[in-house]
Amino acid sequence: MNVAEIQESFQKLLEEHRKILYKICHCYCRNPDDRDDLAQEIVVQLWRSFQSYDGRCRFSTWMYRVALNVAISFYRRERVRTEHIITAEEPLLAIADETPTQPDEIRLLYQAIERLDPLNKALILLYLDGNSYAEIGEVLGITQTNVATKIGRLKETLRREFGAATRG
Amino acid sequence: MELDELKQKWAEHDRKLDTSIRLNRQVVRELYTGRARSALVRLAAIIGLGSVTTLAVIMWLGRFVYDHRTMPRFVLPAAALDVLAIAALATAIRQIALALQTDYGQPVATIQRRLEKLRMARIRYVEAILIASPLLWIPMFIVAMEAIWGIDVYATFDLKWLVGNVLFGLAFIPVGIWLARRYGRKIEGSLAGYNLQAASEFIATLADFERE
Repeated sequence: MNVAEIQESFQKLLEEHRKILYKICHCYCRNPDDRDDLAQEIVVQLWRSFQSYDGRCRFSTWMYRVALNVAISFYRRERVRTEHIITAEEPLLAIADETPTQPDEIRLLYQAIERLDPLNKALILLYLDGNSYAEIGEVLGITQTNVATKIGRLKETLRREFGAATRG
Repeated sequence: MELDELKQKWAEHDRKLDTSIRLNRQVVRELYTGRARSALVRLAAIIGLGSVTTLAVIMWLGRFVYDHRTMPRFVLPAAALDVLAIAALATAIRQIALALQTDYGQPVATIQRRLEKLRMARIRYVEAILIASPLLWIPMFIVAMEAIWGIDVYATFDLKWLVGNVLFGLAFIPVGIWLARRYGRKIEGSLAGYNLQAASEFIATLADFERE
């Protein structure tokens, strides 16, 4: 494949999996500007790593790994403001205004995820996205049993969080 | 509400996202072509310039050692500085290579541990430079005076002065350690957004996360 073909193939795969980008940015950043910075960093890292993607795992598994690794590093920079890699007139992910129509449960869920530490954020996001325990383990580098144990604990945490939120 | 119910709500939310989010192809294209690439080129240029400067210092000191090979009083301080400069360059190159070799497509726990260890190494590198700095100025002074003005520090200043300065440098090490702890971590921390304690805590968190 020549460069143009590789770029085209990358664009196509990114387009197909844009929801992963959106959800990770929403879970790791509250501020919309930070979200766009993170989205840009993830895309740059995905592109840089794309040549090492050998297709042995699904593209989504590989994309989760790259995107979560970038997001966790971004999140852990103690909220140091990063520069835009490029200053675009429009954001990387254009989103129809969803706030008024977003169900309360989803808004609360995003808020609950936001309170988790960066590793558990990744875990719950992968679980909610319908990945199997084996796939979650593959992305995070932990065993299936460990995934099951942690999901069990997170269920408890979220039940408490939602109980408190609905009572409040 | 149970997590399984939330999972269903999440799946509905996911379906809505199919129609509500659009990837800006123009921005994506710009990220992996011109402007992003030039940012990378700038970064590489800064790293390259630093390495070239250190390399020039190494060569200059090597030449100084060769020119003064019959005068151990100049060879010793210059060789010591040269060894330190070589070590600094090797460390910087190793860190850059490790950072560039990091494959973000590897599992999260593996990569996060690797990145955290790299950050800790960088913080310690800055600390080591700050701690060593009070001891370095005497050999630098000896070499610079001889190389630039041809002044033999040993002949110009008496032995007590030199010994006094070395002792002062040694006594200053605890201050250097304090400065390194107080400011070295801040310098590196402000560059990377991390500090050593946060890095070691996160490594412990990772170990805990991997434990069943």
